[in-house]
Amino acid sequence: MTRYLLKRVAQAAAVLLAITALAFALFYAAPSDPALIACGPRCDTAQVEAVRASMGLDRPLLAQFLDYAGGIVTGRTIADVDGTPIPCPAPCLGYSYTLHQPVLAAIADRLPVTVSLAAGALTVIVVLGVGSGLAAALRRGRPTDRLLSGFSLLGASVQIYFLGYVLQFLLVYTTGLVPLPRYVPFAAHPAQWALGLLLPWLVLGFVNAAVFARLTRSQLLETMHHGYVRTARAKGLGTLRAHLKYTARGAAGPLVQLLGLEVGALLGGAFITETVFGLGGVGKLAVDAVNGNDLPTVVGTVLLAAFFVVVFVAVADVVVAWLDPRVRLA
Amino acid sequence: MAAVSMTQVFRRDRVGMVSLAVVGFFVLLAVTAPLITALYGKNPTEHYGQNETGLLSPEGLPVLPNGGISAEHWFGIEPGLGRDVLAQLLHGIRTSLLIAFASAAVVAVVGVAVGVTAGYLSGLVDRAFTFVCNVLLAFPALLFLLTLGPVVQTRFVGPEESEPAWMQFTVLILVFSAFGWVPLAMVLRTVVRSLREREFVEAARALGASRRHIVFRELLPNVWAPVLVHLTLAVPAIVTTEAALSFLGVGINEPLPDWGRMISRGSEVFYDDPTYMVFPGVSLLVFVLAFNLLGDAVRDALDPHTVR
Repeated sequence: MTRYLLKRVAQAAAVLLAITALAFALFYAAPSDPALIACGPRCDTAQVEAVRASMGLDRPLLAQFLDYAGGIVTGRTIADVDGTPIPCPAPCLGYSYTLHQPVLAAIADRLPVTVSLAAGALTVIVVLGVGSGLAAALRRGRPTDRLLSGFSLLGASVQIYFLGYVLQFLLVYTTGLVPLPRYVPFAAHPAQWALGLLLPWLVLGFVNAAVFARLTRSQLLETMHHGYVRTARAKGLGTLRAHLKYTARGAAGPLVQLLGLEVGALLGGAFITETVFGLGGVGKLAVDAVNGNDLPTVVGTVLLAAFFVVVFVAVADVVVAWLDPRVRLA
Repeated sequence: MAAVSMTQVFRRDRVGMVSLAVVGFFVLLAVTAPLITALYGKNPTEHYGQNETGLLSPEGLPVLPNGGISAEHWFGIEPGLGRDVLAQLLHGIRTSLLIAFASAAVVAVVGVAVGVTAGYLSGLVDRAFTFVCNVLLAFPALLFLLTLGPVVQTRFVGPEESEPAWMQFTVLILVFSAFGWVPLAMVLRTVVRSLREREFVEAARALGASRRHIVFRELLPNVWAPVLVHLTLAVPAIVTTEAALSFLGVGINEPLPDWGRMISRGSEVFYDDPTYMVFPGVSLLVFVLAFNLLGDAVRDALDPHTVR
C-alpha cells in the first residue's frame, strides 16, 4: 500500500508540473503581447511597459517560467503598475494588475463561497444520486425504477443556465418560497447561510446527481449478479449483510472515483452556477477575469482548479486501492 | 450479421426510435433552415422590432404579451434588438450542430487512432499516453476554452477587427477535439488490450500478419460499437458546452445566431420577458434529452451485456 501511495503522489506531482507548464505556455507565450492582456483594457502605454518589466516578459521564456514556477514554491516579490513592490508569499500564483492584489489573495477572498457551494451541492449529489440509484437498482424494472431513471435522465439533460433561471423565477420571483440566492458567511449566520445557498445547492446538486444515480444503479446491478455475492448468500448470509459487505464494497470503486473528480471540479469553481445566481466565488472570479482580460488571475484559477482535480482524483484512487486489493497489486 | 441483429434490436426499442425521430427532425430543421425562414418571410439578422413601430416599447421590451408572439412573429421577437425568435432559433441549430458534428468527427479519428495504438503497443507508448490523458483530464477544459478567446484575438486578429466566423468555429472545434478524444481513446485502449489477447489476433500474428494488418484489419472492425456509443453521447455534450460558453460571454459572437447567447440575453431580461428565454432553453433541453436517449438506445442495442 505504501508503495502504491508513493507512486500515486509522484504521478500527481508530475501531472501538476505538466499542467503548470502547459498553462504558462498557452497564456504567457501564445499571445503576441501578454503584458497588454495582463494589464487590462484600461491601461495606457506606460503602464503596459511597467507590467511588461514586472512580469519579466523581456527575459527568455524559460527564465520566466522558472520564475513563475519558483514563485509557487518559494514566493517572490512583484512590482505593481506604479512600481510599488508587493510581496507575494508562496504559493505565489502571480499578481493581478486589474484587482491590484496577488492572485492567491483574490482567490482566498472568494474561496469560502465556492467551498460552501460545493459542500451543500455534494451533499445533495450523494444523497440524491446514490439514494435514487440504490432505490432504482433494488426495484429494477418496476415503476419506481422507471420514474427515477427518467428523473435522472432529465437531470443529465437540463442545463444549469436554464433550470437556475426557471426555478428562480418560479420560487423566488413569483411565489417567494425561497429567498433570493446570496452568500452570508457561515460564521456570521448559519441559518441565513443555508437559506441563501439553498437554491444553488439544489440546482447544482440535481444536475450532477444524475450521473451518480445512473452509475450507482448500473454498478449495483452488475455487482449483485457476481458469483461472490451469490456465494455469500448461498452460505446463509442475510440479504442486507451480503449487500452491505460484498455488493457495496464491490460497487463502490467507480463511484468513489467519480466522487473524487466531482469534488475537485466543484472546488475549482462552479462557473455557470455562480454566474447564474450571482455568487462571488472562484468561478465568478475566473469568468470576470476572462471577460476583463486579467491574465494572471485566469492562469491562477486554471492552476487552482487543476490542483483540486488532481489532488482529489489521487485521493479517490488511494481509497479505491484500499477497497480493492486488485488495484494496488496491479 | 451482427449489424442486422443490432438494427433489429434498435427497431424494437420504442424510446430509441422516438428519440431518433426527434434528432432527425432537428437535423432536418438545421439543413433546411434557410428554406424555412425564406418561406416564413423572415431572416435571423434583421431588427424587425426597431424598424417597425409598435413592436417594442421604449424600454426595448415586446409590446404584445408573451414576448411579442403574433401571427407575424410566431415565437415572438427579441427584446432590445427586435429580431425574430423563430428565425434565430432555426439558424441557431445550424451553429450548434455544425460545431458538434465537426468536433465529433475529429474526436472519432484522433480517439480511434490514439486509443487503438496505445492499447496495442503498450510499454512506453502506453505510459506516455496515460500521462497525457491524466494531464488533459485534470485541465479545466471549460476555463481553458473561456481563456482562449483573448489569446486567439491578440495573436491572429488585429485589436479593432472582429474575429471572422470561420475562425470562431475553427477554434471551438479544435479545442473541443483537443479535450474530447481523451475519454474515447481511454475506452478503446481498454477494449483493444483485451482484444489483443484473443485467439483471432494471435492466429493472425501466427500467420505472420504485419502490425498494420492486425491493427486495421483485425482490431479496428471490433471497436466500432464503443465508438458509435461514445460519439452519440459526445454530440449533446459538445452542444451544451458550446451553449455554456456563449452563455458566459465567449464562444460564438454576434451576429451569428446561437442558442447559448439567446439564453444569456434572455437571462438579462428574464423577469420582464421570460418568454424569450423559454424558447432556446426548452429547445436545448429537448434536443439534449433526445440525443441522450438515443445514446442509451444505441448502447443497449450494441452491447447485450449491459444490465438494464
